[in-house]
Amino acid sequence: MPSQPGAILKGLGVGLVSAVGDVLIVKQSKPLPEWTRSTKSIDEEISELKSAIDFVSKNLDELGQKAGGTSAEIFEALKTLIEDEELMEVATANIDVGWGAAAAIGKAVDEFAELLGGDPTFEERVADFQDLSKRVQARIAGIEMALSIPEKGRIVLVGEDFSPADTAQFTDAVVGVITLKGGPTSHTAIICRSKSIAAVVSCPDAASLETGDRVLVDPVGDRVLVSDDESLATKSLEFVAINSEPLVPVRANIGTLEDAKAARETRANGVGLFRTELLYLSAKTQPSLEQQVASYTEILKAAPEGPIVVRTIDAGSDKPVPFLNMPEEENPSLGVRGYRLIVDHRDFIESQLKALESARVASGREVWVMAPMIATAEEAKAFADLARSIGGYKVGIMVETPSIALIVDQLGGVIDFVSVGTNDLSQYLFAADRMNPSLGALLNHWQPALIKSLARIASGAKAAGISSGVCGESASDPAFAVVLAGLGMDSVSVSKSQVTAVHNALSSLSLADAKEVANAVLKETTAEAARATALREIANR
Amino acid sequence: MSVIQGKVQVLDPIGLHARPASQIVKLVKESGLEITIGRTGQEFAKANSALRLMALKISAGETLTVEIPTADQALADSLIAQIQEFLKAD
Repeated sequence: MPSQPGAILKGLGVGLVSAVGDVLIVKQSKPLPEWTRSTKSIDEEISELKSAIDFVSKNLDELGQKAGGTSAEIFEALKTLIEDEELMEVATANIDVGWGAAAAIGKAVDEFAELLGGDPTFEERVADFQDLSKRVQARIAGIEMALSIPEKGRIVLVGEDFSPADTAQFTDAVVGVITLKGGPTSHTAIICRSKSIAAVVSCPDAASLETGDRVLVDPVGDRVLVSDDESLATKSLEFVAINSEPLVPVRANIGTLEDAKAARETRANGVGLFRTELLYLSAKTQPSLEQQVASYTEILKAAPEGPIVVRTIDAGSDKPVPFLNMPEEENPSLGVRGYRLIVDHRDFIESQLKALESARVASGREVWVMAPMIATAEEAKAFADLARSIGGYKVGIMVETPSIALIVDQLGGVIDFVSVGTNDLSQYLFAADRMNPSLGALLNHWQPALIKSLARIASGAKAAGISSGVCGESASDPAFAVVLAGLGMDSVSVSKSQVTAVHNALSSLSLADAKEVANAVLKETTAEAARATALREIANR
Repeated sequence: MSVIQGKVQVLDPIGLHARPASQIVKLVKESGLEITIGRTGQEFAKANSALRLMALKISAGETLTVEIPTADQALADSLIAQIQEFLKAD
């Protein structure tokens, strides 16, 4: 059914720019013909295949030149794949046994795709590779596959999702993009954010749009309106600081020495999350105690004034650290990761704590240490006992598992603080894989169940007399940071690019106001309503 | 014909993925030599094919052996050094 004027289509907004434009539906091209046996000579089939590969490869060159930078490197790599000598050998062998050119390349690509399959590193590459195979087959069948986007006008592209080859063809006329699938971290979303193109992703209702419909793409409102009235676009909030200090300290998330230095340039009050594993992603052998002391000391010294919360290594088979030799697991995010590594790698976690103690003394900084992936009070106590036996820092845990989120009130006297990793807490709370783009809506931090969990964690921490904070992505959303302060969180830690925005938001109202905002948000039953209520309540203060 | 062997280590956190593989292939083709790469003691892949190299599924931290059919030690050293460069983290 076509969309009526005034209809509202919900999705996930990307960026802050809105735009009105004319819908252009990007249809899946005509289906490729079925694979057939050859009716021509072997030489003819081979030369037809070669010229089709050549065509696609030249096309990649052009796309690479248009895109430039890192994208150009991606196209260069794709070109090497489709021009691969071994691929051509396998395809030629297929032609030798009687297949037509299209079938020969299709089968050859399938064969290699299978060899590369099962490895998450190559998943996207394999999809790109299959896309190239289709392009070659389309060329052989004489089907046009390139998008033809007008150079002039105000176009809003609507499609399932867009591949790198598609987005490279976006012309200046593209003012908006709507995808039926794909999450906020999809390739389309990243490109649109970097090019300031208005975009709404994960918008299944956009299937009802038709080419020529005039729509308003309203990312701030997480929606698309069938309307040509740009003034209906949701305004992004402008926070005006009225207090000199934010309601709660705004800290920065860091992982490297460069991050620490960059964070010092912001108004961040200390560091709320120092991810130590980033130092070891390429380390094949366990770093010595001296090496660790040296790198931690340097980073602690460079970090912004205030306490520095250091997380012990958070690796798992999805985030492998070579020297820990972690076996592959069926479900890495539910497997041996974070603090659970202590069973096999106690020596390394102890060496981290020892090195942090030496670095703390050497730098003269206030250091807090915390362990990731704690699921029970016993684990929290075991970590606290271990850390206190080694150093004079404050000791805490990450709250990422629903199991520990339920019993924060029982941690009084055991630990000094908790820090909530909202990304993982959402993943486990909603049983929704963070890496799966089609589950983006469940991982929205405005989901009522997540906000209820955060309220419970904050009040549990108060009851237990321990300090609470949030270091996940959600705290980087200024309006959400206000809700967190209102729920009773004692600090937030955000990516360094968001320190100023969150600092301003938290300096723009009183704690009593923030509490009222949080209470209003807690009554809502959908993520959309929760967010809308927060924005409205904040605007009315 | 003599063969010179060298070792390289994959330092790129994503392992031997498409970009380094295609850089190696380009270099190998320019050299005109039949260079092979693999894990010591296992089957080697012809380094003129990025797909074959990727199919080895090499992870970050692994050490690989490069076999170069040449007697020219200086040439071999230079090729191995360049391959190592491709395998560094960004």
